[in-house]
Amino acid sequence: MNAKSPVIKEHLVELRLFGVLLVLMVVLSLISDRFLTVDNLTNVLWSVCLIGIMTTGAIYAPITGGIDLSVASMAALAGILANVFMNVYGMNWIVAIALTLLIGAAIGWLNGIVTTKFLVPAFIVTMAAKTYLFGVAMLVSNGDQITIMQPAPFLQIGIGKFLGIPIPIYIMFALVIVSHILLKKTVFGRRAIAVGANEVSAKLTGVNPDRTRIIVYTISSVTATIAGIVMASLTQQAYAMNATGYELDVITAIVVGGTSLMGGSGSVIGALIGAVMVGFINNGLNLLDMPSALHPIATGIVILVALIMNQGISLPAVLKKWFSRPGVAEAAK
Amino acid sequence: MSANSKNDLLLECRGIDKNYNGPQVLDGVDFSLRRGEIHALVGENGAGKSTLIKIVTGITNRNGGTIVFEGHEIPVEHSKIASEKLGIAVIYQELSLIHGMTVAQNIFLTKEPLLAGLPFIDIRKMNEMAQAMIDKYGFDLRATDIIDRLPIAQRQTVEILKALSNKASLMIMDEPTSSLTATESERLFKIIRMLKAEGITVVYISHRMEEVYDLSDRVTVLRDGKLVSVLEGEEITPAEIIRLMIGRELTEDESHHKMVKKEGDVVLEVRNLCSEGKLNDVSFKVRKGEVLGFGGLVGSGRTELMRAIYGIDPFDSGEINYLGKPYSPTVEKSIASGYGFVPEERRLQGIMGGISITGNVGIANLDSIASPAGFVSSSKELERAQEAISILNIKPPNPDHLVGNLSGGNQQKVVVGKWLIRDLKLLIVDEPTVGVDIGAKEEMYQTIDRLSKEGVAILVVSSDLPELTRLSDRIIVLRKGRIIKEFTEGVVTEEEVLRAASGIVEGGAK
Repeated sequence: MNAKSPVIKEHLVELRLFGVLLVLMVVLSLISDRFLTVDNLTNVLWSVCLIGIMTTGAIYAPITGGIDLSVASMAALAGILANVFMNVYGMNWIVAIALTLLIGAAIGWLNGIVTTKFLVPAFIVTMAAKTYLFGVAMLVSNGDQITIMQPAPFLQIGIGKFLGIPIPIYIMFALVIVSHILLKKTVFGRRAIAVGANEVSAKLTGVNPDRTRIIVYTISSVTATIAGIVMASLTQQAYAMNATGYELDVITAIVVGGTSLMGGSGSVIGALIGAVMVGFINNGLNLLDMPSALHPIATGIVILVALIMNQGISLPAVLKKWFSRPGVAEAAK
Repeated sequence: MSANSKNDLLLECRGIDKNYNGPQVLDGVDFSLRRGEIHALVGENGAGKSTLIKIVTGITNRNGGTIVFEGHEIPVEHSKIASEKLGIAVIYQELSLIHGMTVAQNIFLTKEPLLAGLPFIDIRKMNEMAQAMIDKYGFDLRATDIIDRLPIAQRQTVEILKALSNKASLMIMDEPTSSLTATESERLFKIIRMLKAEGITVVYISHRMEEVYDLSDRVTVLRDGKLVSVLEGEEITPAEIIRLMIGRELTEDESHHKMVKKEGDVVLEVRNLCSEGKLNDVSFKVRKGEVLGFGGLVGSGRTELMRAIYGIDPFDSGEINYLGKPYSPTVEKSIASGYGFVPEERRLQGIMGGISITGNVGIANLDSIASPAGFVSSSKELERAQEAISILNIKPPNPDHLVGNLSGGNQQKVVVGKWLIRDLKLLIVDEPTVGVDIGAKEEMYQTIDRLSKEGVAILVVSSDLPELTRLSDRIIVLRKGRIIKEFTEGVVTEEEVLRAASGIVEGGAK
């Protein structure tokens, strides 16, 4: 047997996506000579890093057959809370970040509890959380766009560079690696996949689906909080509307990355590629000076195409079924 | 409608073939129905009855053969909607009515009478039409009753009314009496005879031989996916049907499998287990190396008992002793202490179809493939999967294969196999061979025999009587959550088990 083949098979989805990404890069570099420059590529990675960071945790919800719509509101709230802790209560920035993460974790835990113990669908629970977290963010920030002037080390998180590359990109890649290992190499990852694949069977095989799901939503909320802290530092701003609509970009990245919303499988690396791909498309449209209205159209088309591809149904098969249906009923008359 | 002559065929199937990814489920089956007859379709579990019905009703497509209904050839790419339009109706065991709606709303779903010229439903007219149908057949129902509040038997009548309103000329009933009381069953038989009088053909699928014997004009017997015989009139006797279903003169060993008293240590002891509405004062012991069979009808509490012992559902009172110590089960504890559990519904409860054999085996063995810190060793996981594959001869022997794409028998081997590579002390199997082909069935039996020789205590729940008597060293029969009979040592016949399960007292009438 070929020793390499299992590795290739295991990463088939990622490899295929990476191929698509390369094709996209080639096309974009042919269209614009500004595309394939270190500066531009860094910019794209920088622009997707918030989505990328959220994705690393949010991906576990679809893997278990759920969804987390609260990540964007959570991120906005996290930035506002961190600013309040540092600049109103005068806390040390590390303490402030730790406290913000703790609050993020608690909110995720609460999402998990309501979903599992009170049996409210995750879609509804996290949509409610999205709404009330946004409300809390508005309340705490008074609806203002607050500029964060200090502390300096906190601001370095977003705008600092190491070896010429922005720190948020390091944070994103670090979280991707952690999340990838968590999914593929740990007991928790196995359990999350099992719960998504068949909850009843998982339960009868000794997995506690409730516990697994509670951890899933906690993780999702924590990475959203990290993204929010990075965002606050990056934009030097604490503002309730800062991440509006990001949850859909996160879901787009996850779905384009080959994770089924039905649960039972998922790829963290695929989701990263998905995020980068959406970033490239927007970047390409920017470079071509296309109107910004085209961006959501392009994103929408990408989601649809990715979903259709993931279903593995060919167009001819669909058409054939469509046109062969009425036959029998007609014959009966 | 034409006369009820012998050659007036409503449905004619010729040479129907069907295979699901491998095993041949139907092999050149001929099946014909006359207009206005009651036709029983019988066979052991896995003989191909359900598949044949699914093909006729368009739920699955056949691989070969022709079907002619009312003189029209039915194409291979058939659909359920198309077959309903033709007048083929199935009265489901698990009913397909919409719960929150009324009887009338269900009957006229998608064909509601409208207010003249308007896109609004004429509710009054709909209720009147429904009530007229109900009265015509003398059913004890009101058109405005909500489905949820009706007992199962009544819902079944609503299903029948729905089929009648579709002008069904063929009604298929799959085990219609399985959850009915004796009186309710009698009422159903009356309805079936009424349908026959109206010229409607009824296909009746049942494991209860007396019903088949009483009702049917003709009987088609299937065995291992092949047509064995079609009986008519005088030829129909329970004994003959059973002989044809089983298909061979049972050897002494098979028909009267000797039950052996096992002397090993008690592995599990259950005392006075009670669970509101499910179990009533159940007590038993199972010893090392003993195969303890549980017989009973569907709904007799067998599955509920197994679930309670494994720790899925809590129970109200009673004690469990496991390996000589008091034990209050939870699934996690049970697995860690040597239980294995093969659930009743393979597809819904057993397999994780969307993931690989490795994933399915791994999840039950996380304790042996992961480090204490929670990191899984992929190579150990693969080893365990390969072990399970080789012990049970799973085909194809490819650990990466998605379990959902395996044949029924191989799926079941995965569900069983994930436990066999553990230090197993007690294995619970609920309906181990439903939907499994003959070869895999025999392998499953040999596996259970082997495990019992290795000292594993095994609890087997089965509705397949030959299977139950073939496997068990002792048989407990449950009825309405109670142990009603225990067969120990010596021989037991399928008939004895069935009589006990049906609540027929020794020598009593039926």
